[in-house]
Amino acid sequence: MTNSDALTRLRYRFFSGRLVGEILSKSWIDSAIPVAALAVVLLAMAVLVPGIFTVAYVADLSRQLAEFGLVALALTIVVMSGGIDLSVGSTFALCVLASLIGMNVLGLPLGVSLVMALGTGAICGTLNGLLIGYLRLRAFITTLVTLVIYRAVYDIIFPRLASAIVGNTPESTLWDYLGFGTLYGFPVSFLIFAAIALIIHMTLSRLRPGWRLRAVGGARKSAYNAGIDVKRTVCLAYASSGVLVAIAAFLFSARLGSTGADTGIGMEISVLTAVVLGGVSLGGGRGSVGNAIVGALLVLILTNGLIRMSTPGSVNQLVLGLILILAVLFDAKWVKNRGKILSKVYVSPTYLALPARPERQDDPYALNDRLGVVEPIGLGVVEGPEDVVLDADDNLYTGTRHGTIVRFFAPDYGRSEIFARIGGHPLGLAFDRHGNLLTCVGGMGVYRVSPSGSVARITDETNRSLVSVIDDSRLRLPDDLDIAADGRIFFSEATIRYEMADWVTDALEGRGNGRLICHDPNTGRTTTVLRGLVFPNGITMCRDGQSLLFAETWACRISRYWFDGPKKGTREVFVSNLPGYPDNINRGSKGTFWVALLGLRTSTFDLAMRKPAFRRRMARRIAADEWLFPNVNRGCIVQISETGELLDVLWDRDGKNHPSITSSCEHKGYLYLGGVSNNRIGRVKLPNADPDWTAQRDYWGQA
Amino acid sequence: MTIWSRFAKWFGRSEDDALSIPPLDGKLKPNSRLDAAERLLHLPQIDNLALDGARLICSSGDTLFSVDPAGWQTAPIRSFEGHITAVAVSPGGVLAVGVEGRGLEICAGGAWHSRNLGDANGCITAALFRSENELLVTVGSRHHPWTEWKRDLMSRGASGGVVSVNIASGEARVVRDALAFPYGIEIAANGELIVSESWRHRLLAMPPAGGLARVMLGELPAYPARISPASDGGFWLALFAPRRQLTELVLREDDYRREMMATIAQESWIGPDFRDHANGDQPLQSGSVRQMGIMKPWAPSRSYGLVVHLDAQLQPVSSYHSRADGHMHGIASILEWDGHLYIAARGAGALLRLPLEEMT
Repeated sequence: MTNSDALTRLRYRFFSGRLVGEILSKSWIDSAIPVAALAVVLLAMAVLVPGIFTVAYVADLSRQLAEFGLVALALTIVVMSGGIDLSVGSTFALCVLASLIGMNVLGLPLGVSLVMALGTGAICGTLNGLLIGYLRLRAFITTLVTLVIYRAVYDIIFPRLASAIVGNTPESTLWDYLGFGTLYGFPVSFLIFAAIALIIHMTLSRLRPGWRLRAVGGARKSAYNAGIDVKRTVCLAYASSGVLVAIAAFLFSARLGSTGADTGIGMEISVLTAVVLGGVSLGGGRGSVGNAIVGALLVLILTNGLIRMSTPGSVNQLVLGLILILAVLFDAKWVKNRGKILSKVYVSPTYLALPARPERQDDPYALNDRLGVVEPIGLGVVEGPEDVVLDADDNLYTGTRHGTIVRFFAPDYGRSEIFARIGGHPLGLAFDRHGNLLTCVGGMGVYRVSPSGSVARITDETNRSLVSVIDDSRLRLPDDLDIAADGRIFFSEATIRYEMADWVTDALEGRGNGRLICHDPNTGRTTTVLRGLVFPNGITMCRDGQSLLFAETWACRISRYWFDGPKKGTREVFVSNLPGYPDNINRGSKGTFWVALLGLRTSTFDLAMRKPAFRRRMARRIAADEWLFPNVNRGCIVQISETGELLDVLWDRDGKNHPSITSSCEHKGYLYLGGVSNNRIGRVKLPNADPDWTAQRDYWGQA
Repeated sequence: MTIWSRFAKWFGRSEDDALSIPPLDGKLKPNSRLDAAERLLHLPQIDNLALDGARLICSSGDTLFSVDPAGWQTAPIRSFEGHITAVAVSPGGVLAVGVEGRGLEICAGGAWHSRNLGDANGCITAALFRSENELLVTVGSRHHPWTEWKRDLMSRGASGGVVSVNIASGEARVVRDALAFPYGIEIAANGELIVSESWRHRLLAMPPAGGLARVMLGELPAYPARISPASDGGFWLALFAPRRQLTELVLREDDYRREMMATIAQESWIGPDFRDHANGDQPLQSGSVRQMGIMKPWAPSRSYGLVVHLDAQLQPVSSYHSRADGHMHGIASILEWDGHLYIAARGAGALLRLPLEEMT
């Protein structure tokens, strides 16, 4: 290996760029950018305005946040429903007026005044909701009009009662407590805000109304088709927005005790800025309480900071407006391009050097055409028989890409029926001691099918690893399984980075994305045994009862792992430098193993595996159909001994009948072939095999 | 050009655009007419169709054959010490053969003599008599022999040219040089030379004495090979292999390409080819994976069969295809004769015939 190769290998071992894509694929990335912006603003303010973050300032900020944040939450709900509410400022003013009329002018008890304020907010909000939700008016125009109407109502009532409001002060300690009191050092209004924010967060993220709201905002038509009452959901969004604004107004009134002609003017712009800046998408459907709070904090700290720096109010508004424009622009571009960026950076190839193949004339794996005479079974009936297995009565079972397990009846396998419907593509198959059929289902997990055909889940998750960015607790691509003598199920998961449909993309990465997992039926626990395997695929138990063989497809090798006995926990390479990509491994008669080779290594692909930067550019710049790929248009079966010596090689040279063989199963002197992209099962007579041997007997004895 | 691509070019990113391949559309819409054509005979590496009076001749490897139209039997005329790379016959019956490593072998009046063209000997790709004494030849590359054509492509070679050879004196005059693998030559009605420049995927027209060339047909979706005249005043263009995004990418990946050329056998390289080789080391693109027993016709294969009928202005009129699931690939030589179109599918080793009246 040259020096530059060693450098490449080191670079890709530690900086392959895998994390960039994984982080971008997380849903919290939408919120990460506003949080980062908040941190930057905090830092900038601390530097520009020395001594700004005092206890008094923080207390004042938290009171402002209580009122401003509640209005931001109100607008967040509306924006998430796919609408907009410009009338929040006027509604706010009306609710302040209602509270003060209750407390100051009429001298009503606090509870009654609160009801008055909430009622006012609810009426204003519901009016918006009825117009927009049920009468299908445009949100922007409607709330612009109600903004003017509510403001006009305020302007008519307020001057007549102004002196009465200012002239009286309510005799209510609770009112003062609400405005100025603290509990455990926190302002009361802030605690109320925190409680409401928590409730709304739970509702939006965990409860049915929140999900419906997101659904309506994200895709109105789909939500309607899914049976959601879109009109009512929209109407309720505006109504709850009105109520939230009313609570904010009530807290505001308690703090100030009076109101002015300019109360709530310009509020819609600053709140909208907060909401968009926080990361709530104006397109609807995306956003959270956290977004709203971060946005509100950003806007409050910015405006407070600008005031501290003695910037004139108009400049203040100008800055806010500019920020809003930038945030809207960013939001639009982000929503549009996030998927595109992700698809460009997610594939992150790494360095994988395979040993050189021997010259063709010395190659024990030289091409032949012994599979050219295979007899097809179920031609055109099955699609994608990844694995094949036979039961004690010689019936043949296989999974299909339609999500079923098909049974072919002995002796001629001309007749077939759907044995079980799974829902995902069944890959590896194995019979347990009691004749149940166990299967790894792509995208789903490990399932058990009883002899009567009823399906039960065994496991679909494993323990989450501590340092993985993507959630690796869910099983994405369980591939093959085998059962130990004590009933433990060992299965491979080929990759944790790609779904079933994209498994070929994993070939381009060449990284150890896969793992070996064990499910213990006695405890019901599933645990990951080995990580960082290069597309672990076939698994089979060795006859010592203490170890298993597993194939690492892109690394072209088979390893042995001891799960019991004196060598427990160790792993060693069993066969390496195969001429193709090993898939399933199965036991054969006379103590041998059959290895299916998915395809043929090619020098150009081997070279590409040593050039990760080349593969990365290939993945970014050309269409997936045009990517260089291992030559899987050939098929091969290799027989190896108990100690790993090569015994026999069977090729389908032209790849017309059985390209990309993924599995083989020996049964009573015949070898059955499966292929994940084939429309047939193959059967070939083995001249030297034990004609009575079946896997069933080899595993579980005569019983 | 939009303002954005101007910007892109300014920042040196215009190469990105070049990764896109023109689609097979319009007059080049795919069909399977070459696979449906009548197969007259099988001759491995059949190439260089020419008409010597009333006798059809063709080449295969290092041997020149004459074809008997009665039973489509072949009879060898002569074997040479190298691959036959070009064949031309003058109206007066002078036969010129380009032989790799030897130069031109000329047969006038039954006697053979050689003409040495120096470093052009290895890669004479096409020949055409302008008069009984003047032979125009296209030289694909002055750096690589014909059998190493893929190395020339992968070295981004542009050392080819058009040479005029005086048959009597053997004097050779360069009409035009610095072409990227010219692979076919024909003379237009106005006397201009039509040359197919394979590595740049285009047809050029240049004044008879040489000089500034015009692009007549560019952005071809495949690598053009030889041109022959059609009876309607137009031309037949053979395109021997398809362009692929992967090939274009590899042509820009200097590191990968250098190592590929240094360590891997030529027939296993990524890139165009006349056919797939049976050595089990063929590169595969993921769209070419056989699914459910079927090779998709639109799979990104390395080889393809394409014949295009051009009008007198060199614009496509119609096209004949053998797609990824077909076998009549690697067509480099066409001959219209006696109401039929004869097509040598070098990749399949087959001589095809299509009746002209059925063509539209």
